[in-house]
Amino acid sequence: MSSVPIHNKHPFFEQSKFLTKLLVRNRASLAGIVITVVYFAIALLDIFYPHYLGVENDTSMLFFLRGHSISSLPPTPPTMRDGWWYFLGTTVSTIPIFPSMLAALRYDLIYSVLIVVAGAVIGTFFGALSAYFGGATDETLMRITDIFLSIPLIPLAIAVTFFLGSYFIDEVYALIFVSWPAFARLARGETLSIRNQAYIHAATSAGSSRLRNIFVHVIPNVLSPIYVQASLGIGRVVLIFATLDFLGIIRGNPYMPELGKLMVLGESYLPEGIWWPVVIPGVFLVIFVVGINLLGDGLRDVLDPRLRG
Amino acid sequence: MQLGFYVLRRIIAMIPTLFGLTLLMFLLERTIPPSILASQYVNPDSTVPIQQQLHNAYIELGLNRPAPVQFFYYLINLLHGNLGYMNSSYYSGSVLGAIETYFPNTAQLVIFSMALTLLISFPLGTYIGARPGSISDHASRIFAITGYAIPTFWLGLMLQLLFGRGVMNLPVSVFPLDGIVSSSALPNPLPSWLINPVTGALYSSPTHMILFDALLHGDFSLAFNAFMHLVLPVITLTYALLAGLLRFIRSGMVDTSRKEFVRTARAKGVPERLVVTRHIRRNALIPAVTVVGLLLADLLGGVVVTETVFEYPGMGLLSVNAAISDEIYGVVGTTLVFGLIMVIVNLIVDVVYAYLDPRIRY
Repeated sequence: MSSVPIHNKHPFFEQSKFLTKLLVRNRASLAGIVITVVYFAIALLDIFYPHYLGVENDTSMLFFLRGHSISSLPPTPPTMRDGWWYFLGTTVSTIPIFPSMLAALRYDLIYSVLIVVAGAVIGTFFGALSAYFGGATDETLMRITDIFLSIPLIPLAIAVTFFLGSYFIDEVYALIFVSWPAFARLARGETLSIRNQAYIHAATSAGSSRLRNIFVHVIPNVLSPIYVQASLGIGRVVLIFATLDFLGIIRGNPYMPELGKLMVLGESYLPEGIWWPVVIPGVFLVIFVVGINLLGDGLRDVLDPRLRG
Repeated sequence: MQLGFYVLRRIIAMIPTLFGLTLLMFLLERTIPPSILASQYVNPDSTVPIQQQLHNAYIELGLNRPAPVQFFYYLINLLHGNLGYMNSSYYSGSVLGAIETYFPNTAQLVIFSMALTLLISFPLGTYIGARPGSISDHASRIFAITGYAIPTFWLGLMLQLLFGRGVMNLPVSVFPLDGIVSSSALPNPLPSWLINPVTGALYSSPTHMILFDALLHGDFSLAFNAFMHLVLPVITLTYALLAGLLRFIRSGMVDTSRKEFVRTARAKGVPERLVVTRHIRRNALIPAVTVVGLLLADLLGGVVVTETVFEYPGMGLLSVNAAISDEIYGVVGTTLVFGLIMVIVNLIVDVVYAYLDPRIRY
């Protein structure tokens, strides 16, 4: 048999390669990529190899006491003397901050991604549906998004979490519930701009059904702004996550490894000048959000050819 | 089209949103079993026996009726200002009373934050927007990036840490860290304008905002004290707001300066200062009005967090405390008020926008 050249140059990969090159060329978005990759690597390591810290760290920061009983000693400052385990100091009950922070990424990052992806999928579908069908469907769906967008995000998230039951998983559901309308708005706007393009009409005349049109021809072409919104959304959701936990409306395990809860633990020591239990996790959180926002800004510049400059 | 007609149409368009808002809150509220809904609908101040009140709750809320009828009862109760009751350590009494007590404090906070944001962002945004690529532009970019990334509660805590006693080892903190006014600053005995005639609690009149009331009654030391209590919460709220608005005004200025009428103005020989103030700024600031409305949503979300951090007795602290102490009607009431504020602000923003830019009124 004669050798047939294998086509491995799918346009998607070609385009991705091109966009990555553009992204990496910009120093700010390169920094964003590095920060994001490092944080997600830690979070994924936690999932696939939960013993990487040497102890089980599934549900509670108390595991990081490594068998020591809970003490009422005040937090100890960052020091290299006691080894890397304690090099960022300890918080309440001498829980070491460093492994708690790393373990917190598992909840903060993975659930934030889950929330944003779920919100983006639901929102994009309804947005595209709304704009493509038009008429009464559009009017109804957009009035519904109006209602969601007319309540400030944090009070709405508090209310929904409260009525779902105030546990961690309720917070996740609540944030999915409040995050899809923004995506729906965006997808609707984009769909309206491509709805009457020739290729959509061509697909229709070739016998493509309306739903097939939406899934195969509309949604793939409205995704660029959704990617940008999603990457910025992850930063926002991580912040809201920490905020809701900080406000104390989430019940259940007070030692769940989560950055907001970690900061709550140390908050009562702040007036005594014990700064590290709050400052260090906060800086850790801010660095991640800065990173993912830089990545989002970079993505926006790259995906919109008008901004490439 | 006339502006008045546009306003009327906008007000009518508000009705479905308000209806949906109440429907959403109704549906959320009815995820709670009716017996619990009734048991929380008990006025702690009333002399009516509990059994009788529980019975009345079923009738007033229509709990033994079908859901659509319940919603009708719900709307009627809302229109009568009957938002239910709270009975927690933070506030006990009717939810409407709680909102009346705490709303002015939040309004005071929001007024100062908004005023500070606008006062800084418009001149500074114009200045930066006229100089893209300069050092001030890069500084504003860094400011914007951190403004989006720093969680409000953490910023508040950091300010408390910086200006509290801890780090600098001061005898007293530079700014008061919590509350709305120090109890030591209040005149003793309390004058009548500081007391709520019904409950006897601290509640200033006539504006109910203690800073303005103190100024009106000439008590400048109390006003100063109230002002000092506002400094840190206002800085906390302004930071994130400013970051967004500054960046938006800047990019608006840059976009407008590329327009052809600007080139024409320069070609005519209009001095650069006048090009910026008359031609670029006027057109660039119109879209900023819309963004101010959108930012208010962030501001109200930030209020919830800031008030909790600074223990500032306002709507946000009320809603968080209601959620923590399982006060169903407190949570619903505060969320509805936040939604109502947003709807009204969006209306005002749209009207101002239509007034500034007649092309909008299509």
